[in-house]
Amino acid sequence: MTKTSRRVLTVVLSVTSLIWLIPSWLLVVNAFTLSSEYSGTPSWWPTSFSLFTNIRTAFENANVGQGMLNSLLYSVVGAGAAVFIASLASFAVTIMPLKRPTLWFWVIYVGTILPLQAFLSPLFTGYAAASLFDTQYGMLLVYVALTIPFAFFVVRGHMTGLPNEVREAASLDGAGWARMFFQVHLPLSTSALMAAFVFQFTWIWNDLLFGLTLSSSSNIRPVMATLADLTGNYSTYGPPVALAGALVASLPTIVVFFSFQRFFARGLNPTA
Amino acid sequence: MTLTQPPVPREAAAPSDDPTRASAVAPHRPGRAPLAGAAFLAPAVALVVLLLVLPFAFTIYRSFFDDNGFTRSWVGFDNYTAMFVDPAFGQSVLNTFFWVVGTLVLPVGLGLAIAVGTWKLKLGALARFAVILPYAISGSATAVVWTFMLSTDGGLDTLLRLLGLDPLVSQWLLQWPLNTVMMIVATTWQATGACVILFLVGLQSIPPSTLEAAQLDGASGWRLFWAVTFPQLRPMTIVVVGISIVGSLKVFDQVLLLTNGGPGTASETLALTMYRETFTLSRYGSGAAVAVFLTVVVVVASYAYLRRQLRPAKD
Repeated sequence: MTKTSRRVLTVVLSVTSLIWLIPSWLLVVNAFTLSSEYSGTPSWWPTSFSLFTNIRTAFENANVGQGMLNSLLYSVVGAGAAVFIASLASFAVTIMPLKRPTLWFWVIYVGTILPLQAFLSPLFTGYAAASLFDTQYGMLLVYVALTIPFAFFVVRGHMTGLPNEVREAASLDGAGWARMFFQVHLPLSTSALMAAFVFQFTWIWNDLLFGLTLSSSSNIRPVMATLADLTGNYSTYGPPVALAGALVASLPTIVVFFSFQRFFARGLNPTA
Repeated sequence: MTLTQPPVPREAAAPSDDPTRASAVAPHRPGRAPLAGAAFLAPAVALVVLLLVLPFAFTIYRSFFDDNGFTRSWVGFDNYTAMFVDPAFGQSVLNTFFWVVGTLVLPVGLGLAIAVGTWKLKLGALARFAVILPYAISGSATAVVWTFMLSTDGGLDTLLRLLGLDPLVSQWLLQWPLNTVMMIVATTWQATGACVILFLVGLQSIPPSTLEAAQLDGASGWRLFWAVTFPQLRPMTIVVVGISIVGSLKVFDQVLLLTNGGPGTASETLALTMYRETFTLSRYGSGAAVAVFLTVVVVVASYAYLRRQLRPAKD
């Protein structure tokens, strides 16, 4: 690269980054504005330091805190269970001499292709009939089912890539299937399992659709659904409160995302 | 590993329901494979079938009925014919098409440009941080920020006035097609980070020797990109484009939260039309018809795209 083109590139990238940071900046600055002082138009510089007042309002009046606890349960347990169940199935279709592995692959994988909205109304009806509507079990169950297919895709791909010697060595030892799975294949798939977990944790945390449809009370609703209520209630609480709530609700995914990033890239890397 | 491979297990190539062959491949396998296999598969299959496939089958069934949630009567293909003549449905298809094209050009194109542009740059990490940060911010939070940016006299208008560009001040979310374009821009702000990450992973898997050889041959800048980098990125590009097509066909959250499909139904996408028919109007049959149509589009699009792209490269 010549000196000029490098300089041009640097300028273009700096401008792009600045443009990209504008909405994030606005989010933070206005989350600091005192609700009652909010003028109706967003401000560009902090006018007061009321972030914690706003967060308290969001937590007290819109159940953001309860929503976050619910979401934490769904994301950790849901994604964990989904990744484990998906790795069992991956082991079955890649390592075990199963009949029709392709068929079983598609039976599970189809879950990533169907548009989510297509299950929504029958699930709602079924949930109402089975008394699962607005329960923690119900939410966990649907999140596990929804996140299995993609986790399966990631883990299965990883297991397909495991060297043959690994599989054969284990079977020559005369290890049973369960021992083979827990002692050989699961530990060898750590990076793929982590990547799948982070993906699915983030997905469940950010889900709005199923939270809105399958739950109604505040001790069940995930945080994205409570946040949506807050957005709809602009007139009652004001934008600063909604922004403060959004800011806090984004922290867990930001933390998980940036702390797991290394696993993330490795688990996805075709050559790893 | 995974995402770059065709979504078909390698066992697919072998006629594996032939028991002699299966045992020839694995002579030392532990016994009772059918039973053990069932035990390993059962949880995943049961959950997916029970909670995803069966409800979807019911949606197909329901699309042939006039159903208000209480009474149901067989109407054959009436829901489908009614859907195709409804002008709101045409608008919805058009918007969904805008989303597919828009998200291919913006997040995917920009993601590729930023990944390639910052890859070897010292300050690249800073630029990448700015772009990747919004990806970690939740969808609902994004909607709050952008409602804020795009509302009348909101952030964008303030910014334009600040820069003395008053004539550009608009009602961003209240007129079509501007609202759809702006929602795609908002999605770009959030989604580009994911594309950057995936392309960076792809870039890291290019053997350095390939790039060095090309540079020794005198390739640089654009030529290096088109002749070497881009072709080497093909597997990852396929994944990113595939995810983007499916995601944009199913786009829902952003539209629901930013315009709720409005004004009227002007900015509705297919997922939103389906949602409105089912949950707002309680016309379960019509909603199911839209859902089935959307599914067919997603399946056909991903199949057509993947079938062409996932053929092994001849090299």
